[in-house]
Amino acid sequence: MTALMDRTFRDAVAAEWMKVRSLRSTWAFLAGGVAATALGALILFMLVSAYDAATPAERAGYETADPTVVTMPFVMFFVGAIGAMLVTSEYATRSIGPALLAVPRRRLLLGAKATVAGLVGLGCGALFSLLAFADARLLLGDRPQPINPWPRWTDAIPTVLCATLTVTVTCLVAMGLGAVLRSTAGALTVIGSLVLVAPIFAHFLPTVWQLRLASVLLPNLTPQLAGSDHPYLLSQGGAAAVTAGYVLLTLTAGAVAFTRRDT
Amino acid sequence: MGRMIELLELTKRYGPATAVDRLSFEVRPGAVTGFLGPNGAGKSTTMRMLLGLHRPTSGQALINGRRYDRIRRPLHEVGAVLDADAAHPGRSAFTHLACLARGNGIGKARVSAVLQQVGLESAAHQRVGGFSLGMRQRLGIAGALLGDPAVVLLDEPVNGLDAAGIRWIRSTLRSLAAEGRTVLLSSHLMSEMAVTVDRVLIIGRGRLLEDTSVDEMRQRFEQDVLVRTPRPADLTAVLARLGATVGTTGDGALIAVGVDAAAIGDAAAAAGIPIHALTPRSATLEDVYLQMTSSTTTYRAAAPSSALSPTDSAPASASVSASASASASEENH
Repeated sequence: MTALMDRTFRDAVAAEWMKVRSLRSTWAFLAGGVAATALGALILFMLVSAYDAATPAERAGYETADPTVVTMPFVMFFVGAIGAMLVTSEYATRSIGPALLAVPRRRLLLGAKATVAGLVGLGCGALFSLLAFADARLLLGDRPQPINPWPRWTDAIPTVLCATLTVTVTCLVAMGLGAVLRSTAGALTVIGSLVLVAPIFAHFLPTVWQLRLASVLLPNLTPQLAGSDHPYLLSQGGAAAVTAGYVLLTLTAGAVAFTRRDT
Repeated sequence: MGRMIELLELTKRYGPATAVDRLSFEVRPGAVTGFLGPNGAGKSTTMRMLLGLHRPTSGQALINGRRYDRIRRPLHEVGAVLDADAAHPGRSAFTHLACLARGNGIGKARVSAVLQQVGLESAAHQRVGGFSLGMRQRLGIAGALLGDPAVVLLDEPVNGLDAAGIRWIRSTLRSLAAEGRTVLLSSHLMSEMAVTVDRVLIIGRGRLLEDTSVDEMRQRFEQDVLVRTPRPADLTAVLARLGATVGTTGDGALIAVGVDAAAIGDAAAAAGIPIHALTPRSATLEDVYLQMTSSTTTYRAAAPSSALSPTDSAPASASVSASASASASEENH
Protein backbone atom coordinates (compact mmCIF):
# COMPACT_ATOMS: atom_id res chain seq x y z
CA MET A 1 0.00 0.00 0.00
CA THR A 2 2.71 2.43 1.03
CA ALA A 3 4.84 1.31 -1.89
CA LEU A 4 1.94 1.96 -4.26
CA MET A 5 1.35 5.34 -2.62
CA ASP A 6 5.03 6.17 -3.14
CA ARG A 7 4.75 5.23 -6.80
CA THR A 8 1.63 7.33 -7.20
CA PHE A 9 3.48 10.26 -5.68
CA ARG A 10 6.60 9.68 -7.77
CA ASP A 11 4.48 9.55 -10.92
CA ALA A 12 2.75 12.79 -9.93
CA VAL A 13 6.13 14.46 -9.32
CA ALA A 14 7.41 13.21 -12.68
CA ALA A 15 4.28 14.62 -14.37
CA GLU A 16 4.75 18.01 -12.71
CA TRP A 17 8.40 18.01 -13.70
CA MET A 18 7.37 17.37 -17.31
CA LYS A 19 4.87 20.23 -17.06
CA VAL A 20 7.34 22.76 -15.67
CA ARG A 21 9.90 21.90 -18.36
CA SER A 22 7.33 22.23 -21.14
CA LEU A 23 6.18 25.70 -20.09
CA ARG A 24 7.85 28.41 -22.10
CA SER A 25 7.44 30.82 -19.19
CA THR A 26 9.81 28.65 -17.13
CA TRP A 27 12.61 29.30 -19.60
CA ALA A 28 11.69 32.99 -19.88
CA PHE A 29 11.93 33.43 -16.11
CA LEU A 30 15.24 31.55 -16.05
CA ALA A 31 16.50 33.94 -18.71
CA GLY A 32 15.34 36.76 -16.41
CA GLY A 33 17.53 35.30 -13.65
CA VAL A 34 20.49 35.15 -16.04
CA ALA A 35 19.89 38.78 -17.06
CA ALA A 36 19.74 39.86 -13.42
CA THR A 37 23.02 38.06 -12.75
CA ALA A 38 24.66 39.68 -15.78
CA LEU A 39 23.43 43.09 -14.67
CA GLY A 40 24.78 42.41 -11.18
CA ALA A 41 28.17 41.56 -12.68
CA LEU A 42 28.14 44.80 -14.67
CA ILE A 43 27.36 46.86 -11.57
CA LEU A 44 30.11 45.07 -9.68
CA PHE A 45 32.55 45.74 -12.52
CA MET A 46 31.74 49.47 -12.40
CA LEU A 47 32.13 49.49 -8.64
CA VAL A 48 35.50 47.74 -8.83
CA SER A 49 36.70 50.22 -11.48
CA ALA A 50 35.70 53.14 -9.26
CA TYR A 51 37.36 51.47 -6.31
CA ASP A 52 40.63 51.01 -8.20
CA ALA A 53 40.64 54.72 -9.11
CA ALA A 54 39.95 55.85 -5.54
CA THR A 55 42.41 56.98 -2.88
CA PRO A 56 43.20 54.63 0.03
CA ALA A 57 41.13 56.81 2.37
CA GLU A 58 38.14 56.61 0.07
CA ARG A 59 38.63 52.86 -0.35
CA ALA A 60 38.25 52.32 3.38
CA GLY A 61 34.78 53.87 3.14
CA TYR A 62 33.55 51.42 0.45
CA GLU A 63 30.70 49.12 1.33
CA THR A 64 30.98 45.38 0.89
CA ALA A 65 30.41 44.44 -2.75
CA ASP A 66 28.45 41.27 -2.08
CA PRO A 67 26.84 40.43 -5.44
CA THR A 68 24.12 38.42 -3.74
CA VAL A 69 22.73 41.66 -2.28
CA VAL A 70 22.22 43.19 -5.71
CA THR A 71 21.14 40.22 -7.81
CA MET A 72 19.47 37.80 -5.43
CA PRO A 73 16.18 39.68 -4.92
CA PHE A 74 15.68 39.64 -8.70
CA VAL A 75 16.68 35.99 -8.92
CA MET A 76 14.19 35.28 -6.12
CA PHE A 77 11.47 37.03 -8.05
CA PHE A 78 12.14 35.13 -11.28
CA VAL A 79 12.53 31.73 -9.63
CA GLY A 80 9.49 32.43 -7.46
CA ALA A 81 7.54 33.17 -10.62
CA ILE A 82 8.38 29.67 -11.91
CA GLY A 83 7.01 28.24 -8.65
CA ALA A 84 3.82 30.28 -8.83
CA MET A 85 3.26 29.31 -12.48
CA LEU A 86 3.25 25.64 -11.48
CA VAL A 87 -0.24 26.29 -10.13
CA THR A 88 -1.48 29.50 -11.74
CA SER A 89 -0.71 28.50 -15.35
CA GLU A 90 -3.13 25.59 -14.91
CA TYR A 91 -5.89 27.86 -13.67
CA ALA A 92 -5.22 30.38 -16.44
CA THR A 93 -5.51 27.73 -19.17
CA ARG A 94 -8.16 25.64 -17.39
CA SER A 95 -5.81 22.68 -17.64
CA ILE A 96 -6.29 22.34 -13.86
CA GLY A 97 -9.34 20.22 -14.80
CA PRO A 98 -7.41 17.50 -16.67
CA ALA A 99 -4.61 17.78 -14.08
CA LEU A 100 -7.06 16.93 -11.30
CA LEU A 101 -8.66 14.19 -13.38
CA ALA A 102 -5.24 12.58 -13.72
CA VAL A 103 -4.30 13.10 -10.07
CA PRO A 104 -7.53 13.70 -8.13
CA ARG A 105 -6.00 13.61 -4.65
CA ARG A 106 -5.48 17.28 -4.14
CA ARG A 107 -2.98 17.09 -1.36
CA LEU A 108 -0.93 14.62 -3.34
CA LEU A 109 -1.07 16.85 -6.43
CA LEU A 110 -0.09 19.94 -4.44
CA GLY A 111 2.62 17.91 -2.70
CA ALA A 112 3.99 16.92 -6.11
CA LYS A 113 3.93 20.56 -7.22
CA ALA A 114 5.67 21.63 -3.99
CA THR A 115 8.34 18.97 -4.54
CA VAL A 116 8.99 20.28 -8.04
CA ALA A 117 8.96 23.89 -6.77
CA GLY A 118 11.50 22.88 -4.14
CA LEU A 119 13.72 21.15 -6.70
CA VAL A 120 13.50 24.07 -9.14
CA GLY A 121 14.24 26.50 -6.29
CA LEU A 122 17.17 24.43 -5.09
CA GLY A 123 18.67 24.01 -8.55
CA CYS A 124 18.18 27.64 -9.58
CA GLY A 125 19.23 28.93 -6.16
CA ALA A 126 22.47 26.97 -6.30
CA LEU A 127 23.08 27.99 -9.93
CA PHE A 128 22.54 31.71 -9.43
CA SER A 129 24.30 32.02 -6.09
CA LEU A 130 27.30 30.19 -7.53
CA LEU A 131 27.22 32.51 -10.54
CA ALA A 132 27.15 35.54 -8.21
CA PHE A 133 30.03 34.03 -6.25
CA ALA A 134 31.99 33.42 -9.45
CA ASP A 135 31.41 37.06 -10.48
CA ALA A 136 32.80 38.23 -7.19
CA ARG A 137 35.86 36.00 -7.39
CA LEU A 138 36.60 37.07 -10.96
CA LEU A 139 36.02 40.78 -10.48
CA LEU A 140 37.25 41.33 -6.94
CA GLY A 141 40.24 38.99 -7.14
CA ASP A 142 42.42 39.47 -4.09
CA ARG A 143 41.27 42.98 -3.25
CA PRO A 144 40.95 43.38 0.51
CA GLN A 145 37.97 43.94 2.76
CA PRO A 146 35.74 45.90 3.11
CA ILE A 147 34.95 45.88 -0.63
CA ASN A 148 35.68 42.17 -0.94
CA PRO A 149 33.23 40.25 1.22
CA TRP A 150 35.11 36.96 0.78
CA PRO A 151 38.91 37.45 0.82
CA ARG A 152 39.24 33.66 0.81
CA TRP A 153 36.85 31.66 -1.34
CA THR A 154 35.85 29.45 1.61
CA ASP A 155 34.39 32.55 3.29
CA ALA A 156 31.64 32.51 0.66
CA ILE A 157 30.37 29.01 1.44
CA PRO A 158 27.78 29.99 4.11
CA THR A 159 26.43 32.82 1.93
CA VAL A 160 26.15 30.62 -1.17
CA LEU A 161 24.38 27.89 0.80
CA CYS A 162 22.00 30.27 2.54
CA ALA A 163 21.20 32.16 -0.68
CA THR A 164 20.35 28.79 -2.25
CA LEU A 165 18.06 28.11 0.68
CA THR A 166 16.25 31.45 0.51
CA VAL A 167 15.69 31.10 -3.25
CA THR A 168 14.26 27.61 -2.62
CA VAL A 169 12.01 29.01 0.09
CA THR A 170 10.84 31.84 -2.19
CA CYS A 171 9.91 29.32 -4.89
CA LEU A 172 7.86 27.30 -2.37
CA VAL A 173 6.24 30.44 -0.94
CA ALA A 174 5.30 31.57 -4.45
CA MET A 175 3.76 28.19 -5.25
CA GLY A 176 1.70 28.33 -2.05
CA LEU A 177 0.57 31.86 -2.91
CA GLY A 178 -0.31 30.66 -6.41
CA ALA A 179 -2.59 27.99 -4.92
CA VAL A 180 -4.29 30.60 -2.74
CA LEU A 181 -4.63 33.30 -5.40
CA ARG A 182 -5.08 31.06 -8.50
CA SER A 183 -4.01 34.00 -10.64
CA THR A 184 -0.61 34.55 -12.24
CA ALA A 185 -0.89 38.33 -12.03
CA GLY A 186 -1.92 38.17 -8.38
CA ALA A 187 0.81 35.75 -7.37
CA LEU A 188 3.55 37.66 -9.24
CA THR A 189 2.41 40.94 -7.68
CA VAL A 190 2.57 39.52 -4.18
CA ILE A 191 5.92 37.79 -4.66
CA GLY A 192 7.33 40.92 -6.33
CA SER A 193 6.08 42.98 -3.41
CA LEU A 194 7.70 40.63 -0.93
CA VAL A 195 11.17 40.45 -2.46
CA LEU A 196 11.51 43.68 -4.46
CA VAL A 197 9.11 46.35 -3.20
CA ALA A 198 8.99 45.72 0.56
CA PRO A 199 12.77 46.24 1.03
CA ILE A 200 12.42 49.70 -0.59
CA PHE A 201 9.28 50.44 1.39
CA ALA A 202 11.12 49.54 4.60
CA HIS A 203 13.51 52.44 4.01
CA PHE A 204 10.71 54.94 4.49
CA LEU A 205 9.84 53.65 7.95
CA PRO A 206 11.34 55.04 11.21
CA THR A 207 14.70 53.35 11.82
CA VAL A 208 13.47 50.96 14.50
CA TRP A 209 10.62 49.70 12.31
CA GLN A 210 12.80 49.73 9.25
CA LEU A 211 15.08 47.18 10.87
CA ARG A 212 12.25 45.09 12.27
CA LEU A 213 10.54 44.83 8.90
CA ALA A 214 13.76 44.43 6.91
CA SER A 215 14.91 41.62 9.18
CA VAL A 216 12.00 39.36 8.24
CA LEU A 217 12.09 40.02 4.48
CA LEU A 218 13.09 37.05 2.33
CA PRO A 219 16.16 38.57 0.64
CA ASN A 220 17.54 39.79 3.98
CA LEU A 221 17.24 36.37 5.57
CA THR A 222 20.30 35.19 3.58
CA PRO A 223 22.95 37.13 5.58
CA GLN A 224 21.11 36.48 8.84
CA LEU A 225 21.03 32.73 8.16
CA ALA A 226 24.68 32.77 7.13
CA GLY A 227 25.64 34.72 10.24
CA SER A 228 27.74 37.07 8.13
CA ASP A 229 28.20 40.80 8.73
CA HIS A 230 24.78 42.44 8.52
CA PRO A 231 22.77 45.21 10.17
CA TYR A 232 19.65 43.12 10.87
CA LEU A 233 18.15 41.89 14.13
CA LEU A 234 17.74 38.11 13.94
CA SER A 235 20.12 35.45 15.22
CA GLN A 236 20.81 32.50 12.92
CA GLY A 237 18.25 30.45 14.84
CA GLY A 238 15.71 33.26 14.64
CA ALA A 239 16.27 33.61 10.92
CA ALA A 240 15.84 29.85 10.47
CA ALA A 241 12.54 30.03 12.38
CA VAL A 242 11.26 32.90 10.21
CA THR A 243 12.32 31.02 7.06
CA ALA A 244 10.47 27.89 8.19
CA GLY A 245 7.48 30.07 9.11
CA TYR A 246 7.26 31.43 5.55
CA VAL A 247 7.14 27.94 4.09
CA LEU A 248 4.73 26.55 6.67
CA LEU A 249 2.33 29.46 6.43
CA THR A 250 2.10 29.68 2.63
CA LEU A 251 2.04 25.94 1.96
CA THR A 252 -0.65 25.40 4.61
CA ALA A 253 -2.73 28.25 3.20
CA GLY A 254 -2.22 26.85 -0.30
CA ALA A 255 -3.22 23.34 0.78
CA VAL A 256 -6.35 24.57 2.57
CA ALA A 257 -7.42 26.68 -0.41
CA PHE A 258 -6.63 23.95 -2.91
CA THR A 259 -8.47 21.16 -1.08
CA ARG A 260 -11.53 23.14 0.01
CA ARG A 261 -12.47 25.00 -3.13
CA ASP A 262 -14.38 23.65 -6.11
CA THR A 263 -12.53 23.62 -9.38
CA MET B 1 -20.67 -5.98 -13.95
CA GLY B 2 -19.54 -3.42 -11.44
CA ARG B 3 -18.57 -0.87 -14.06
CA MET B 4 -21.05 1.83 -13.53
CA ILE B 5 -21.90 5.25 -12.36
CA GLU B 6 -24.13 5.69 -9.38
CA LEU B 7 -25.63 8.83 -7.89
CA LEU B 8 -27.27 8.76 -4.49
CA GLU B 9 -29.33 11.78 -3.48
CA LEU B 10 -26.63 14.01 -4.90
CA THR B 11 -27.16 17.65 -3.98
CA LYS B 12 -25.20 20.83 -4.67
CA ARG B 13 -26.18 24.20 -3.31
CA TYR B 14 -24.45 27.51 -4.00
CA GLY B 15 -25.72 29.72 -1.20
CA PRO B 16 -29.49 29.85 -1.56
CA ALA B 17 -29.46 28.43 -5.11
CA THR B 18 -29.81 24.68 -5.57
CA ALA B 19 -27.97 23.53 -8.69
CA VAL B 20 -28.48 19.79 -8.20
CA ASP B 21 -31.36 18.56 -6.11
CA ARG B 22 -31.33 15.05 -4.59
CA LEU B 23 -30.36 13.48 -7.89
CA SER B 24 -30.24 9.68 -7.96
CA PHE B 25 -29.60 7.44 -10.95
CA GLU B 26 -27.41 4.65 -12.26
CA VAL B 27 -25.60 4.29 -15.53
CA ARG B 28 -24.93 0.77 -16.69
CA PRO B 29 -22.24 -0.56 -19.03
CA GLY B 30 -22.56 -1.48 -22.68
CA ALA B 31 -24.77 1.43 -23.65
CA VAL B 32 -24.48 5.11 -24.41
CA THR B 33 -26.47 7.03 -21.85
CA GLY B 34 -27.46 10.60 -22.55
CA PHE B 35 -27.65 13.13 -19.79
CA LEU B 36 -30.02 15.70 -21.10
CA GLY B 37 -31.31 19.00 -19.85
CA PRO B 38 -31.58 22.66 -20.79
CA ASN B 39 -28.67 25.01 -20.16
CA GLY B 40 -28.33 25.56 -16.43
CA ALA B 41 -30.13 22.34 -15.50
CA GLY B 42 -27.15 21.11 -13.48
CA LYS B 43 -25.56 18.69 -15.95
CA SER B 44 -22.03 20.06 -15.76
CA THR B 45 -22.20 20.48 -11.99
CA THR B 46 -23.28 16.84 -11.69
CA MET B 47 -20.45 15.70 -13.98
CA ARG B 48 -17.96 17.76 -12.00
CA MET B 49 -19.14 16.26 -8.73
CA LEU B 50 -18.82 12.78 -10.21
CA LEU B 51 -15.22 13.58 -11.07
CA GLY B 52 -14.33 15.11 -7.73
CA LEU B 53 -13.88 18.62 -9.11
CA HIS B 54 -16.87 19.96 -7.18
CA ARG B 55 -17.69 18.95 -3.66
CA PRO B 56 -21.31 17.80 -3.16
CA THR B 57 -23.31 19.59 -0.49
CA SER B 58 -24.78 16.19 0.37
CA GLY B 59 -25.26 12.79 -1.18
CA GLN B 60 -22.77 10.71 -3.12
CA ALA B 61 -21.50 10.30 -6.64
CA LEU B 62 -19.73 7.00 -7.17
CA ILE B 63 -17.88 5.38 -10.04
CA ASN B 64 -17.28 1.66 -9.69
CA GLY B 65 -18.57 2.01 -6.14
CA ARG B 66 -15.97 4.59 -5.17
CA ARG B 67 -15.57 8.32 -5.08
CA TYR B 68 -13.42 9.45 -8.01
CA ASP B 69 -10.83 11.07 -5.80
CA ARG B 70 -10.31 7.76 -3.99
CA ILE B 71 -9.19 6.04 -7.17
CA ARG B 72 -5.44 5.77 -7.16
CA ARG B 73 -4.78 5.83 -10.89
CA PRO B 74 -8.08 7.08 -12.18
CA LEU B 75 -7.23 7.34 -15.87
CA HIS B 76 -7.17 3.52 -16.01
CA GLU B 77 -10.78 3.39 -14.83
CA VAL B 78 -12.44 6.60 -15.97
CA GLY B 79 -11.87 8.85 -18.96
CA ALA B 80 -13.52 12.24 -19.07
CA VAL B 81 -13.75 15.29 -21.31
CA LEU B 82 -15.20 18.30 -19.55
CA ASP B 83 -13.92 21.22 -21.53
CA ALA B 84 -12.39 21.15 -24.98
CA ASP B 85 -10.23 24.18 -24.21
CA ALA B 86 -8.65 22.66 -21.13
CA ALA B 87 -5.10 22.26 -22.41
CA HIS B 88 -2.17 24.64 -22.15
CA PRO B 89 -2.02 26.38 -25.54
CA GLY B 90 1.78 26.48 -25.41
CA ARG B 91 2.21 22.72 -25.18
CA SER B 92 2.11 20.32 -28.07
CA ALA B 93 -0.71 17.79 -28.18
CA PHE B 94 1.82 15.06 -27.44
CA THR B 95 3.32 16.83 -24.42
CA HIS B 96 -0.12 17.72 -23.05
CA LEU B 97 -1.13 14.07 -23.11
CA ALA B 98 2.29 12.88 -21.93
CA CYS B 99 1.98 15.07 -18.80
CA LEU B 100 -1.41 13.53 -17.97
CA ALA B 101 -0.21 10.02 -18.81
CA ARG B 102 2.94 10.31 -16.70
CA GLY B 103 0.89 10.99 -13.56
CA ASN B 104 -0.85 7.65 -14.05
CA GLY B 105 2.20 5.63 -15.00
CA ILE B 106 1.19 5.50 -18.66
CA GLY B 107 4.02 5.48 -21.21
CA LYS B 108 4.64 7.55 -24.31
CA ALA B 109 3.82 4.69 -26.68
CA ARG B 110 0.24 4.80 -25.44
CA VAL B 111 0.18 8.57 -26.00
CA SER B 112 1.12 8.03 -29.65
CA ALA B 113 -1.47 5.27 -29.92
CA VAL B 114 -4.39 7.40 -28.68
CA LEU B 115 -3.32 10.32 -30.88
CA GLN B 116 -3.50 7.94 -33.81
CA GLN B 117 -6.85 6.60 -32.64
CA VAL B 118 -8.40 10.08 -32.74
CA GLY B 119 -6.68 11.01 -36.00
CA LEU B 120 -4.30 13.61 -34.60
CA GLU B 121 -1.00 11.82 -35.24
CA SER B 122 0.08 14.31 -37.87
CA ALA B 123 -0.59 17.23 -35.48
CA ALA B 124 0.99 15.53 -32.45
CA HIS B 125 3.86 17.98 -32.22
CA GLN B 126 1.92 21.12 -33.04
CA ARG B 127 1.01 23.50 -30.27
CA VAL B 128 -2.54 23.13 -28.96
CA GLY B 129 -3.03 26.90 -29.23
CA GLY B 130 -3.25 26.55 -33.00
CA PHE B 131 -5.84 23.76 -32.94
CA SER B 132 -9.37 24.13 -34.24
CA LEU B 133 -12.27 23.33 -31.93
CA GLY B 134 -12.72 19.97 -33.60
CA MET B 135 -9.04 19.11 -33.09
CA ARG B 136 -9.21 20.15 -29.45
CA GLN B 137 -12.30 18.01 -28.94
CA ARG B 138 -10.39 15.09 -30.44
CA LEU B 139 -7.46 15.85 -28.15
CA GLY B 140 -9.81 15.80 -25.16
CA ILE B 141 -11.13 12.41 -26.19
CA ALA B 142 -7.58 11.15 -26.71
CA GLY B 143 -6.90 12.18 -23.11
CA ALA B 144 -9.97 10.31 -21.95
CA LEU B 145 -8.84 7.15 -23.71
CA LEU B 146 -5.24 7.20 -22.38
CA GLY B 147 -5.81 4.61 -19.66
CA ASP B 148 -8.22 2.47 -21.73
CA PRO B 149 -10.96 3.14 -19.16
CA ALA B 150 -14.19 1.20 -18.68
CA VAL B 151 -16.14 4.37 -17.92
CA VAL B 152 -16.18 7.36 -20.27
CA LEU B 153 -17.81 10.70 -19.41
CA LEU B 154 -18.21 13.59 -21.82
CA ASP B 155 -19.71 16.99 -21.13
CA GLU B 156 -21.37 18.50 -24.21
CA PRO B 157 -19.00 16.77 -26.64
CA VAL B 158 -20.67 18.00 -29.82
CA ASN B 159 -20.93 21.67 -28.86
CA GLY B 160 -19.64 23.78 -31.69
CA LEU B 161 -18.55 20.87 -33.84
CA ASP B 162 -19.19 20.62 -37.55
CA ALA B 163 -21.15 17.75 -39.08
CA ALA B 164 -18.09 15.57 -39.70
CA GLY B 165 -16.90 16.10 -36.14
CA ILE B 166 -20.30 15.19 -34.73
CA ARG B 167 -20.45 12.05 -36.82
CA TRP B 168 -16.97 11.08 -35.66
CA ILE B 169 -17.85 11.55 -31.98
CA ARG B 170 -21.09 9.65 -32.42
CA SER B 171 -19.43 6.64 -33.98
CA THR B 172 -16.59 6.75 -31.46
CA LEU B 173 -19.06 6.70 -28.56
CA ARG B 174 -21.09 3.92 -30.11
CA SER B 175 -18.03 1.75 -30.59
CA LEU B 176 -16.86 2.44 -27.02
CA ALA B 177 -20.24 1.26 -25.74
CA ALA B 178 -20.15 -1.73 -28.07
CA GLU B 179 -16.88 -2.74 -26.38
CA GLY B 180 -18.84 -2.98 -23.14
CA ARG B 181 -17.86 0.37 -21.67
CA THR B 182 -20.10 2.66 -19.70
CA VAL B 183 -20.56 5.86 -21.68
CA LEU B 184 -22.31 8.92 -20.29
CA LEU B 185 -22.57 12.12 -22.27
CA SER B 186 -24.39 15.30 -21.50
CA SER B 187 -26.11 17.51 -24.01
CA HIS B 188 -28.81 20.11 -24.23
CA LEU B 189 -29.86 18.85 -27.65
CA MET B 190 -32.50 16.13 -27.78
CA SER B 191 -32.03 15.82 -31.52
CA GLU B 192 -28.39 14.85 -30.99
CA MET B 193 -29.29 12.38 -28.27
CA ALA B 194 -31.98 10.69 -30.36
CA VAL B 195 -29.42 9.29 -32.78
CA THR B 196 -26.53 8.70 -30.39
CA VAL B 197 -27.83 7.29 -27.15
CA ASP B 198 -29.69 4.21 -25.97
CA ARG B 199 -30.92 5.60 -22.70
CA VAL B 200 -31.73 9.13 -21.63
CA LEU B 201 -31.69 10.78 -18.26
CA ILE B 202 -33.49 14.07 -18.45
CA ILE B 203 -32.95 16.68 -15.78
CA GLY B 204 -34.38 20.11 -15.22
CA ARG B 205 -33.45 22.50 -12.43
CA GLY B 206 -31.24 19.88 -10.87
CA ARG B 207 -33.94 17.23 -10.62
CA LEU B 208 -34.37 14.00 -12.52
CA LEU B 209 -37.42 14.28 -14.77
CA GLU B 210 -37.10 11.08 -16.77
CA ASP B 211 -34.97 7.93 -16.85
CA THR B 212 -35.96 5.93 -19.91
CA SER B 213 -34.85 4.46 -23.21
CA VAL B 214 -35.13 6.46 -26.41
CA ASP B 215 -37.52 3.89 -27.92
CA GLU B 216 -39.74 3.89 -24.88
CA MET B 217 -39.88 7.63 -24.95
CA ARG B 218 -40.89 7.58 -28.60
CA GLN B 219 -43.65 5.06 -27.95
CA ARG B 220 -44.96 6.75 -24.87
CA PHE B 221 -45.50 9.95 -26.71
CA GLU B 222 -47.03 8.36 -29.78
CA GLN B 223 -50.02 10.55 -30.26
CA ASP B 224 -52.41 9.41 -32.96
CA VAL B 225 -52.82 7.45 -36.21
CA LEU B 226 -53.35 9.05 -39.58
CA VAL B 227 -55.57 6.97 -41.92
CA ARG B 228 -56.39 7.47 -45.58
CA THR B 229 -59.31 5.61 -47.06
CA PRO B 230 -61.69 6.12 -50.02
CA ARG B 231 -64.63 5.49 -47.59
CA PRO B 232 -63.97 7.84 -44.67
CA ALA B 233 -67.54 7.91 -43.38
CA ASP B 234 -67.74 4.10 -43.07
CA LEU B 235 -64.34 3.88 -41.40
CA THR B 236 -65.25 6.64 -38.95
CA ALA B 237 -68.26 4.60 -37.85
CA VAL B 238 -66.13 1.45 -37.45
CA LEU B 239 -63.47 3.29 -35.45
CA ALA B 240 -66.06 4.94 -33.26
CA ARG B 241 -67.31 1.47 -32.31
CA LEU B 242 -63.73 0.63 -31.24
CA GLY B 243 -63.85 3.59 -28.87
CA ALA B 244 -61.59 5.89 -30.88
CA THR B 245 -62.06 9.60 -31.28
CA VAL B 246 -61.88 10.43 -34.97
CA GLY B 247 -61.15 13.76 -36.60
CA THR B 248 -60.30 14.78 -40.14
CA THR B 249 -57.49 16.70 -41.76
CA GLY B 250 -58.05 19.35 -44.42
CA ASP B 251 -57.21 16.93 -47.26
CA GLY B 252 -59.71 14.30 -46.18
CA ALA B 253 -57.55 11.96 -44.14
CA LEU B 254 -58.76 10.70 -40.77
CA ILE B 255 -56.93 11.10 -37.48
CA ALA B 256 -57.72 8.45 -34.90
CA VAL B 257 -56.85 8.89 -31.24
CA GLY B 258 -57.09 6.16 -28.63
CA VAL B 259 -56.58 3.17 -30.90
CA ASP B 260 -53.42 1.76 -32.43
CA ALA B 261 -52.61 1.17 -36.09
CA ALA B 262 -52.96 -2.62 -35.87
CA ALA B 263 -56.47 -2.42 -34.45
CA ILE B 264 -57.50 0.03 -37.16
CA GLY B 265 -56.12 -2.23 -39.89
CA ASP B 266 -57.88 -5.30 -38.48
CA ALA B 267 -61.21 -3.53 -38.06
CA ALA B 268 -61.04 -2.08 -41.59
CA ALA B 269 -60.24 -5.50 -43.08
CA ALA B 270 -63.11 -7.11 -41.19
CA ALA B 271 -65.47 -4.43 -42.52
CA GLY B 272 -64.02 -4.69 -46.03
CA ILE B 273 -62.94 -1.04 -46.07
CA PRO B 274 -59.81 -0.37 -48.15
CA ILE B 275 -56.96 1.47 -46.44
CA HIS B 276 -54.56 3.58 -48.54
CA ALA B 277 -52.35 4.83 -45.76
CA LEU B 278 -51.92 4.10 -42.10
CA THR B 279 -49.33 6.11 -40.17
CA PRO B 280 -48.82 6.19 -36.40
CA ARG B 281 -47.69 9.69 -35.55
CA SER B 282 -45.59 10.56 -32.56
CA ALA B 283 -44.42 13.88 -31.32
CA THR B 284 -40.78 14.33 -32.26
CA LEU B 285 -38.48 13.67 -29.36
CA GLU B 286 -37.54 17.30 -29.57
CA ASP B 287 -41.17 18.29 -28.94
CA VAL B 288 -41.44 15.89 -26.04
CA TYR B 289 -38.26 17.12 -24.53
CA LEU B 290 -39.17 20.77 -24.84
CA GLN B 291 -42.58 20.07 -23.35
CA MET B 292 -40.98 18.17 -20.49
CA THR B 293 -38.43 20.78 -19.63
CA SER B 294 -40.35 23.95 -20.47
CA SER B 295 -41.41 24.47 -16.88
CA THR B 296 -37.85 24.01 -15.66
CA THR B 297 -35.95 26.18 -18.12
CA THR B 298 -34.19 28.88 -16.18
CA TYR B 299 -33.91 31.54 -18.85
CA ARG B 300 -36.32 31.70 -21.75
CA ALA B 301 -37.03 34.18 -24.47
CA ALA B 302 -40.59 35.47 -24.75
CA ALA B 303 -41.35 33.83 -28.09
CA PRO B 304 -41.96 30.07 -27.70
CA SER B 305 -40.03 29.21 -30.87
CA SER B 306 -36.82 30.61 -29.40
CA ALA B 307 -36.84 28.01 -26.65
CA LEU B 308 -35.18 25.84 -29.27
CA SER B 309 -31.47 25.23 -29.39
CA PRO B 310 -29.21 28.28 -29.14
CA THR B 311 -27.36 29.57 -32.16
CA ASP B 312 -23.93 28.23 -31.20
CA SER B 313 -25.13 24.68 -31.64
CA ALA B 314 -27.41 25.32 -34.57
CA PRO B 315 -25.29 23.33 -37.07
CA ALA B 316 -25.41 20.32 -34.77
CA SER B 317 -29.13 20.59 -34.30
CA ALA B 318 -29.83 21.11 -37.96
CA SER B 319 -27.74 18.24 -39.24
CA VAL B 320 -28.96 15.62 -36.83
CA SER B 321 -32.56 16.60 -36.31
CA ALA B 322 -33.16 16.15 -40.01
CA SER B 323 -32.28 12.47 -39.82
CA ALA B 324 -33.70 11.98 -36.35
CA SER B 325 -37.19 13.10 -37.10
CA ALA B 326 -37.34 12.03 -40.74
CA SER B 327 -39.26 8.85 -40.01
CA ALA B 328 -41.59 10.35 -37.46
CA SER B 329 -42.43 13.46 -39.41
CA GLU B 330 -43.10 11.86 -42.77
CA GLU B 331 -46.80 12.57 -42.49
CA ASN B 332 -46.35 15.37 -40.04
CA HIS B 333 -46.32 18.36 -42.34
